[in-house]
Amino acid sequence: MAIKPLELLQVLISRTEFTDEDKKILQQNADWGSSIAAEMSDTFYNYLDRDPEMAAVIAKHNRQRLGQTFAEWFREMFTGMDNWGPQYAERRWKIGLVHVRVGIGPQHVVPAMATVVREVSRRLVKEGKPEELRVSLGKVCMIDLSFIEQAYLEVAYNAVQQETGMSEALFKRLIATGASSLASS
Amino acid sequence: MANLSSLQATLQNYISSTPGIQGAAVVTPDGLPLASALPVGMDEERTSAMSAAMLALGERIGKELGRGTMERVFVQGEKGYGVLTRCGPEAVLLTIASDEVKQGLLFLEMKRAAASIAEAMK
Repeated sequence: MAIKPLELLQVLISRTEFTDEDKKILQQNADWGSSIAAEMSDTFYNYLDRDPEMAAVIAKHNRQRLGQTFAEWFREMFTGMDNWGPQYAERRWKIGLVHVRVGIGPQHVVPAMATVVREVSRRLVKEGKPEELRVSLGKVCMIDLSFIEQAYLEVAYNAVQQETGMSEALFKRLIATGASSLASS
Repeated sequence: MANLSSLQATLQNYISSTPGIQGAAVVTPDGLPLASALPVGMDEERTSAMSAAMLALGERIGKELGRGTMERVFVQGEKGYGVLTRCGPEAVLLTIASDEVKQGLLFLEMKRAAASIAEAMK
């Protein structure tokens, strides 16, 4: 399945109702986001370290580099890079694919991100930041998590299609008939 | 565009003229049913999707193993056979036969039916 990152981003922006006002609030607080990025990276990886399965996966990679990548990603949620345009979409897509390559799946990323969201929320309250910022950050966070989840599906679909010679339509049909069968069993 | 009533008639004729055939279906390579006469209780949607998937995989394996153009995918069970063959680029023929069917006759009739279906799909 050929995902076009910019199209996916635009769909997600629409579905999460991520508005120009949300973008403005995030960009106005970009410096603050940057100031806590390293700390949020630690929150994320400390959480994953407590999960034996994830700790084993992370141990195979350069922890410092992963931490830096997370901090960059966190900052970019505030800046939007090119105002949440093609560059942002491509970068999110690549981050999703990196998660697939490293072996950090949605079942690990989503709970880990939930701890980051909780920590960010705590900081927002503590530092008297507006509620609107929490809402906007929550929306962009959901957009980014959707990219990671979609990347997993995309890689899995493509791998099976490549190895079996099935068309995309046939593959989707098998999933639908299989899901129907599972639901009734 | 295929004439669906013509396809159904070809299928019925194929089944009734070949001893041992218990059912058949014509499906698209994407797994959509076009015409079918399957045994009672067999899910047409699932069978169609699985047939197309099996043929695609058979073709892929044939290519990987250097077996040349694939003629058919053949499943043999204790109660009989399931055979898949391509009818041109737009259709796949599934045949279900009992264990008493004469294989030579089955393959011959299947080839003829596949040619008629491919023609009807033009």
